[in-house]
Amino acid sequence: MPELHDIANEFIRQEIDEFIERPDERARIIGLFAKASEQMQAIAAALIDGDHETVDRLTAEAIAAGVHAMEVMDDGLIAGMAIVGIKFRQNFIFVPEVLSCARAMKAGMVHIEPILSAAGIEKLGKVIMGTVKGDLHDIGKNLCIMMLRGAGFEVIDLGVDTSQDRFIDAIEEHGANILGMSALLTTTMPNMGKTIEAFIDAGLRDDIRIMVGGAPVTQDFADEMGADGYGKDALACVSLAKQFAGKA
Amino acid sequence: MNSRQRVLAALNRQPVDRTPVCNPTSVATVELMDLVDAPFPNANREPERMARLAATSYTELGFDSIMPVFSIIQESSALGCKIQWEQKDNWPTVRMREPIWQTADDIRVPDDFLDHPDTRCVTEAIRLLRREYGNEVAIIGKTMGPWSLGYHCFGVEPFLLLSLDNPGQTKLCLDRMKEATIRFGLAQIEAGADALTLPDHATGDLVSAQYYARYLRDLHIEFAERLKVPIILHICGRTVDRMPYIAETGMAAFHYDSKNGPEESMAICRDRVALVGNINNPETLFSKGPEAVRAEVVRNLEAGVNLVGPECAIPLQTAIENLKEIPRAVRDWHNDRARIN
Ligand code: B12
Repeated sequence: MPELHDIANEFIRQEIDEFIERPDERARIIGLFAKASEQMQAIAAALIDGDHETVDRLTAEAIAAGVHAMEVMDDGLIAGMAIVGIKFRQNFIFVPEVLSCARAMKAGMVHIEPILSAAGIEKLGKVIMGTVKGDLHDIGKNLCIMMLRGAGFEVIDLGVDTSQDRFIDAIEEHGANILGMSALLTTTMPNMGKTIEAFIDAGLRDDIRIMVGGAPVTQDFADEMGADGYGKDALACVSLAKQFAGKA
Repeated sequence: MNSRQRVLAALNRQPVDRTPVCNPTSVATVELMDLVDAPFPNANREPERMARLAATSYTELGFDSIMPVFSIIQESSALGCKIQWEQKDNWPTVRMREPIWQTADDIRVPDDFLDHPDTRCVTEAIRLLRREYGNEVAIIGKTMGPWSLGYHCFGVEPFLLLSLDNPGQTKLCLDRMKEATIRFGLAQIEAGADALTLPDHATGDLVSAQYYARYLRDLHIEFAERLKVPIILHICGRTVDRMPYIAETGMAAFHYDSKNGPEESMAICRDRVALVGNINNPETLFSKGPEAVRAEVVRNLEAGVNLVGPECAIPLQTAIENLKEIPRAVRDWHNDRARIN
């Protein structure tokens, strides 16, 4: 099994040592980085640091030097985002820091996305995400989207205050089969259930898997509404999506 | 003691005959709207309806305070933000996806800021309430802090990224926006507010305690000095880590969320800042019955919390029975204690 000292990049070693406490996660993350090249580790380190300019430069350099776009995405960007997600969940970092990491991720993806789509490389899956009708809280939903993208999903963001019709239209238009809804208000939570009913009425419920989340939402509530899954944070959102996509 | 005396004494951490019941954010519910024919969105825009709905916290629920601002967007509307006013069953909100400012240079608090219908509505409502209830009940106003105004006027994500990228510029923005906080606060005091709630959402769910110390502590000290009525700072979510800073600001009180235990919070705040709270909204007031409400009230009383009430704006579909249980439980607890002693 790879060990911490198998990772060349000192910053990454320190990050893992200081912030990744759960043994299973530690083993997984060390494994991820131990197999990554030094160049990819440097990209991940810049991403964790929220340094979008360096991520932009290093990603462009790596692509120009002939590193495969998939490798840059998996071993650089996604690996970096895995550490960011855990640090956020454990309250080592907060929303501004996560936003800056997401901006860095985006700066790298600018170079990678065109190559992947030209090569017809499939994403893990396509997810439609939105905050339900009447609700304008979107920080949590946006973090979920960042982590989903960071994990290799294509995500269509419907924004806030999303009506049932817009959810349905988006599923049809994009041919997505995973739907995520967010709600932060007790007044708007019932709109999740109503949207699920609207999918049943439209005869589309069986084609999609639905996950729900947001601070007041619970597993019980999700079950009651007939959702397929509930996630308490952005990492849980990613594992649900992977499970739905059959990629867990 | 009457309700007004009780609230003001508790805010100043002076002895009271019993713990006052108070919601410094919003008590509006759909049931109360129907009862006095003051539904949203009208109750957020017309002074008479705003005052009428607010008064129900005293007349119907038996709370010791009246607070007429049910939303957090009145001054943002006056600053030029686009507002979605919603319907009876939802709070109004700022369209933060369409920010009005990008840099500190864009910030303008219009000269006629206090004449805008949506700020005027609040000062007018306070005048009406003062006239009708002013001697018996504490009338609490609300003026938003610059951090929350930043979310509204710059958009949450741009504002939070700015705070990381450019602390100097962020401080300048906060310093300019604080004029709105102060002017709206002073206008409400002038209209007759006994105290002011000052929400400023630097919560542990979004930013670190260091952020509070870096960006807000000094501004909050300044608010406590310049707004010469008791100020109730409101920050929802996890805040125990920043309570030591908050306790040093000179604010009269801190309105705290159920994510923080009453005992641990009191251990930090005692003798420095009064605590108001922290009955859970979504899980208790909204979803459970009077028994569960009572248990949380008692826990706060046992911990020595100075004013008891919901943690934040109560869910609009909350049952009146649950809200009435708060003052009832407070009275019973004090009666039991008197009997034992
Ligand atoms: C920031 C905030 C705001 C900001 C919103 C900015 C924005 N663009 O989002 C502002 C200040 C504008 C605001 C406004 C209001 N707010 Co507010 N707000 C909050 C606060 C403090 C933090 C929410 C947050 O962003 N948390 C951080 C994120 C990262 O966490 P999260 O959203 O839970 O998301 C995580 C998980 O839940 C999960 N997740 C989220 N979505 C999804 C989706 C899926 C599919 C999955 C799997 C997982 C998942 O992953 C995320 C990442 O880990 C909360 C308090 C709290 N502690 O929750 C109140 C809170 C949500 N607000 C509340 C209220 C009452 C309001 C207002 C009505 C206030 C008013 N009186 O006007 C308005 C609402 C207007 C409207 N119509 O929407 C109440 C709601 C009460 C209730 N349950 O009904 C809360 C709970 C405060 C309280 N203690 O009472 N608010």
